[in-house]
This record gives sequence, structure tokens and C-alpha cells, in this order.
Amino acid sequence: MKKRSYILVAALVTGLMACDNTESVEKEPVKAETVRDLPADPITGVDATGRPASAGKYTYFSFKNGIVPAADSASNRWDLAFKATTILVNGGTSGPGNAGAVLLDGIFDEISTLPATAPIRQDQGADLAIPTGSGKGWYSYNPANNLIVPIAGKVLIVKTTEGNYAKVEILSYYKGAPATVNTATDEARYYTFRYVLQPDGTSNFQ
Amino acid sequence: MAMQQSFRKNRKVAVLGFCILLFQLTESRSQSPSADPMREDSLAEMVVTATRSERQLGALPMPVSVISKKQIQAMGSLRLNDVLAEQTGLFMVNDHGNGVQVQGFNPDYTLILVDGEPLIGRTAGTLELSRISVGNIKQIEIVKGPSSSLYGSEALAGVINIITENPNRTFAEGNLRYGGNQTLDVAGMAGIKNKKLGVNVYANRYSSAGYDFSPETIGNTVSPFQNITLQPRLSYQFSERTRLAVSSRFFSENQENAFGVTENAQVRLVEGPGKVQDVSYNSTLSHTVNSYLKIHARLYHTRYHTSTSLNYQPENQVYDQTFFRQNFTRPELLTEWTLSEKNLLTLGTGHIAEAVEATRYEQKQTFQTNYLFFQYEWFPTRSVHVIAGGRYDAHSAYRNQFSPKLSASWQVTEKFMLRGSAGVGFKAPDFRQLYLNFNNAVAGYSVFGALELAPNLERMQAAEQILDVLLDPSTFGALRPESSRAFNVGFQFTPAATFKTTFNAFRNDVQDLIETQAVARKTNGQSVFSYLNISEVFTQGAELESSNRWEFGKSTLTLSVGYQYLEAKDKAVVRRLNAGNVFRRDPETLVTERVPKASYGGLMGRSKHSANARLFYTGPNGISASLRGIYRGRYGFGDRNSNDILDADNEYVTGYMVWNVAAGRHWKQFSVQAGVDNLFNFTNAAYIPAQPGRLGWLRISASLEKKRASELN
Repeated sequence: MKKRSYILVAALVTGLMACDNTESVEKEPVKAETVRDLPADPITGVDATGRPASAGKYTYFSFKNGIVPAADSASNRWDLAFKATTILVNGGTSGPGNAGAVLLDGIFDEISTLPATAPIRQDQGADLAIPTGSGKGWYSYNPANNLIVPIAGKVLIVKTTEGNYAKVEILSYYKGAPATVNTATDEARYYTFRYVLQPDGTSNFQ
Repeated sequence: MAMQQSFRKNRKVAVLGFCILLFQLTESRSQSPSADPMREDSLAEMVVTATRSERQLGALPMPVSVISKKQIQAMGSLRLNDVLAEQTGLFMVNDHGNGVQVQGFNPDYTLILVDGEPLIGRTAGTLELSRISVGNIKQIEIVKGPSSSLYGSEALAGVINIITENPNRTFAEGNLRYGGNQTLDVAGMAGIKNKKLGVNVYANRYSSAGYDFSPETIGNTVSPFQNITLQPRLSYQFSERTRLAVSSRFFSENQENAFGVTENAQVRLVEGPGKVQDVSYNSTLSHTVNSYLKIHARLYHTRYHTSTSLNYQPENQVYDQTFFRQNFTRPELLTEWTLSEKNLLTLGTGHIAEAVEATRYEQKQTFQTNYLFFQYEWFPTRSVHVIAGGRYDAHSAYRNQFSPKLSASWQVTEKFMLRGSAGVGFKAPDFRQLYLNFNNAVAGYSVFGALELAPNLERMQAAEQILDVLLDPSTFGALRPESSRAFNVGFQFTPAATFKTTFNAFRNDVQDLIETQAVARKTNGQSVFSYLNISEVFTQGAELESSNRWEFGKSTLTLSVGYQYLEAKDKAVVRRLNAGNVFRRDPETLVTERVPKASYGGLMGRSKHSANARLFYTGPNGISASLRGIYRGRYGFGDRNSNDILDADNEYVTGYMVWNVAAGRHWKQFSVQAGVDNLFNFTNAAYIPAQPGRLGWLRISASLEKKRASELN
């Protein structure tokens, strides 16, 4: 699992550096990246009573640096933190940064800019910028088969701690993003999402 | 016999007249056992459910259908669910039991009556229809559309009334049927009738070894069970004007449960019996005051008890023990006023006391309802019939409810009749939706009624059993009764005595439908559920039934076909679709797209198209046969593309057809019948586990009837 994370970070860093190198005057269209299997407090086994157990830790993520060590949780170095279905932003009551987010309805590719009607929000205690709850935020929960499914047509606009904007679409909550999830065998709490980071400080995603 | 003789001493002329009348009725009924079963469903047949007094089926302004005893016998059916499954527009829904879907509504919304009195004991809203044996049924009456104006809560989608045999003849009969899955049904019925007293008793034992679609797992798809039904009925004619009817029903079932529970990655065997008991007492005193007024005083009491005791085996440690006890008592006074030949008035009032006590409830919970209803029937001309009615229910726990209904029919020509009705139906939140307090030890989830949710959630949060709250209970508000406004419009066309067509189009606009919702997640990975008003659903559609009869020589062939078109949609989803705000993600490519409006398939579990074709044959020498095909079009099962709605082909259960065949021969006192249910062995273990495979059966019966003439001696 560790090994996978390193590869992931390496891939991200390479990808981001490639973006950083584009300093030409003519604007290149921003490119979509995909993060696969970001662990979000995965189940590690069962406890004494037979219940699933986990470490209870967040995974800190930066659009610039990829996964950030938990030791940096009190810094500006992360934008989003993932634990199970909960996603925190590094802003408001959740972190020292000035990051924020807003959840939009629409198709990822069609969202070209942050609408004026949807201001960026920060976490305020239980009132998270990215709301939790089945059908209230990014996912729905099916009690019949215990499946967590990212709701189609939910797009996050994230303002990073550096003041840039990214749009994000969560694609899967299960390891390997299987087309048909079997909750008995597929491991939950692994995010696959795609995003576009606009490094110029605007929310122009064209 | 001694009793019979003592009554004979008090013979009176009037009673003699009554007996002659009965004699005639019985004679016409038992005239030819081999008679065409479909002919029974004639427009002259008397029904009571639509107006609460006897009316001719063909004259009623609302959609009513009747399934006769002969039709049930020709089908060879044993239980109510078998019979209803073959009717146009009705579907069996398997959710905590076999319930019936009417006009697109779940089983919760159809009132099930036995001789006009409600059956109780629903699990998750479903009343198990296999509890009802059909061996002593005179006819089944089905009224579609709301009848809350007469029956109050639950009569929102329709009313199904099971009319049992009257104690009106001296006879004895026995039935034995054995078939696939070791299904054994033994039934006997006997009656004595003399001038004043009529008694009959029906007894039935029904058992099956069940079946298993997944032998690799512990437990059966349907576990072995056996049940008994006992139904005595008594009537006593005090005088020409006064009659007492007393009846009772006793039902008891045992089912052997066995299943595997995964604990610490180990599968453990859990076994134990489940018991269901359902008892009712009903007495009605009818008195004709004069030619204008008839009074019926009814007293009904019923109880429904279940208990389950599950143990780990072979350790014999307790795994789960539950019980559920519900009772319902209702005195009612009904008066029928014949104001004039053209004006009939029915007035009624009653009181309902209900109580429930269960493992899943904190304490014994009680409900009280007082109600008043009226029904005014007006025949302005010979061809027009108007019925206006309404009922006011004053509930101890909810806001009061008024349910009006207006229906009218117009016999345009001798062969063509138009009819229409508009009405309001409601269903009050039940005990479960308010007071349920249930933690499933097997699966680990919890369900709380609306009034139990907040305190229990707090308690569980304090005990650190809650991972996160998905929906905040403080935002819910009080649970409201579900209500609908319904319209039914149709016609009846009878160009010849051998041909009949009926058509009915319906629209139901439903508000405040109550559904279970996950409101929080537990640390064990399971959920906490509660009940919420999910507002605004509609169902609409049309139903067409047609039958034709051919006669050649001593043979009769009847073909009847039925078709229903149905749409049932969530209005909120329709609005979101219109706004272009519903999306779907292809699970393979992970590409998201907007859902086109036309892709929305509506609520899960509803078939847009369904049809049936039934062929009944009666021939010389008591030979009869039937072949019935029931088609159910595809219906939604569950979401597969991340938007919680039905919009993709792989979210449907494929449409299917089931064929049943039966044939038999009748002699004077004996009959033999054999049949095959599900002739082509259609099964769908994954999505339709309640549908067993092909089952053959054989039935023999014998009957003895006292000659009517001797009774007049």
C-alpha cells in the first residue's frame, strides 16, 4: 500500500512539474489528471467484536504535491483531507489554510468557470464545505447493498491554499474503480477522481 | 342432529319462505359444476365492497372486478396470492412477504378484508397474502382506486374483500392436493342449515418443504412451513327482520428458519422456529326496522402474534428472540336508509382501538380512531347512477382526515356504459413508522420510527456507535399521513351476451409518501434508518379487459385477455430531469452524461406493460381445463449508474411470462384435477426468488350435499 502511494505521489509530482514548466505567453488549455486509489482511512481488519476497524486517520492531499504526510496537517501544504466519505478543506475550522470548495451540479467537461452564484465555502465545524450524508454531498449510500456511489453530475470546485482553482469529479470509492462493485470483496475508502488545476489564479477551465 | 330437530319444531311459514329462497339460490349455484367458470363473472353478479351493501357488479360507477369460486377452482389455486397473481393489473411484490401491487402502489396501500373486516399484521407494510386459504371463498371482490370514503386508512390504491361461504346449506366436502416441493393441502368444510340456524366450519392444513435456489449457502430460498386455518361461521335468523351472524378465523403457521451468519470471517449456522398466529371474531346483528331503514351493528376483534426464536447451532446459544403482538377492535354501526326509490343513504359510525407490543417497540403503543361516514346514492334516471360519499376519521395521533369520493355511471345505450370517479385516499403512518425501535442483530442495522429516532440517535452517538449522521432529524418535522387524489374513468361494452370489454384509465397524485431513508451510518458499517415523507409521486395508466365465449355442442370455451399500461414516477425526479439536472456515469468508462428525459423509467418495481391471456374450457362428462399465461414486462430493480434513478437497460429485471395449466373431471360426488404451475419452469433466482420453478400437482375432492327437498319436509 505504501509503495503504491509513493508511485502515486511520484506520478503527480511529475505531472505537476510538467505543468509548471509551461511559462509561455500563449495559454495552453489546462489538462485533466486522474488520481487513482487515494486511500481514505481504509479498513485494516476487524476489532475484538468483529467490527471493521481502521486507523481513523485522514489522508492529506495537495493538488501541487500529491499526498502530504500527516505531520504536515497543521500547515498550508495540503488542500483536501480524506477520511472515509468525509472530505475536509484546509480552511475554516479544518485547517490553517485559506482553501475552500463548493459543490456544483453539472458535467465535468462542461464546467468552464466558477459561477458567481456559487461562492467558495470553508468548513465551519460540522457544516463542511463539501457536505457529508447520502444524497447531500458527493455520494449516495444504498442501504440494500451498502454501496457508496459518487453521484453522477457532482463537480467540486476547490480553491487551493495557493489561491488557484481546481475542478474535481470523484469517480469511485473502491480500490481499482471496478465497474461492478462487490462490497464483500472490493475494498472501500479508495478514491479515484479526476481534476483540472488552473495554475494562473483564475477559475477559467477552458 | 338433535339440535336440528329441536329447531324444526318451531317451523314458521316465513322461515319456510326463506328456505325456499335459499334453496333456489343454492340450486342455481350448484346447478352444473362443470359450467363455464368465466360466466360467473357476469355483470349481474352481486358485490358488496364498493358500496358496503349488495349491488350488481355491472351497475357500479367505479372499477370493480370479481373472481368467482368456480374460477378459483378451475385454476386449482390454494392461497390468495396465487389467485391475485393472475389478475390484470395486479402484481405480487415480495418484500417481507407476498403482497399485492395495485395501480402501481406498494402492498401497504391496499386494504385486505375478510367478509368486510380488515386483516391486520403487516411486516414492513406487506400483509402476507399466503396466510389466506381460498378453499372456502365464495368470491373475491377487487375495487381499484381509493375507497377511504368508506374504509378510511389503507384503502388508498384499492380494497380486496374476500367473501367466504355463507352457512346456507347442509353439506360436507373434502379436498386433498399434493404437488411439487412436497406441497400438501388438506381441506374440509361442512355445514348444517335448517330454518333458523346455519353453521359451517372450514378447516385447512397447508404445508410445503420449500425450495432452495442456492444450495451452496446455508438455508433455503423458502424454508419449510406448515399452517392451519379454522373458520367457523354461524347465522341465526331470529325473525324475518332480525339476523345474527357470528364468525371466527384462526390461523397458525410455523416456519423453520435456517441461515448462515458471517462472524469474524466464519460462517455460523443459526436455526429456529418462526410462528405466526392470527385470530379474529366477528359478529353482526342486522335488523330491518321498516321498509325505509335497515340497521347493522358489527363488533370485530382481531389479534396478530408472531414470535421468532433463533439459536446458534450446534452450540444452542441464543442468537435473536423477537415477538410482535397487535390487536384491533372495532364496533361499528351502519344504517341503510331507503329515502325513496331513487335515493338511498348509508350512514355509519365506528370506533377503532388498536394496540401493538413488540420487541421492536419501546412499550405498548395504542391508537384510537373515531369515524363517521356517509354515502348517498342517487338514480336520477334509469340510466344514471350517482354515488357521493365521504368519511371523517378523527385520529388520536394524527391530524383528522376527510376523504370524499364522487362516482357516476351512465348507461349510454343498452350495450355501452360510461363511468368515472374522483376520490381522496389516505394512509395514516402506522405503528412501525412512528414507534419502531429495532436493531437487527443479524445484519447490524437499526430502524427507528419517526418519534423514536431523535432520542435513540442521541443515545447511540453518546455510545459512539455512530460514524456520521447523514440526515439531521431536527429538520424532518412531524410525519404526515400519506394521501392521494385519484381519478378513474372508463367504459363497459357488451355488444353480445358472449362478449364483454371493460376499460379503465386511472391517475393517482400522491403526496407525502413515507419511505425508509438511511439517516446515519454506524461504526459497524451498517446504517440507521427512519421514515420520511417523500413527497409527490404519481401513478397513471389504463387497463383493458376483454372476454369472449364460444359454445359448440356441450362444450364452452372462454378466452379472456387483459392488459395494463402503467407509469409511476417521482415528481421531483421529473422536475430535475426537465431542468437537465440528472446525470449518469457509465461504470465502465466513468464518463458522465446528462440523462435524457425519455430514459426515466419511473419508480422501481413497476412494469410499464403487463398482460394475461386465459383460456377456460368446459366439456361434456364434467371435463374442464384451463390454460393461463401471465406476462409481466420489465421493471426496475436498482440503480447501476450513480444517480439513484431508473434510467438504464441494465437496471431492469427482464420481462417474463409464466404459464399455468390445469385439467380435471367431475363426477357426481368426486372430482379429480391435475395441473402444472409454471409450465415452462421460468425462474430468476437473483431477482425473483419468490417465483418457484415448475410444480405439478394432483387434487382429489369429494362432496356430499343434503337434498334440498328433504329440508322442506
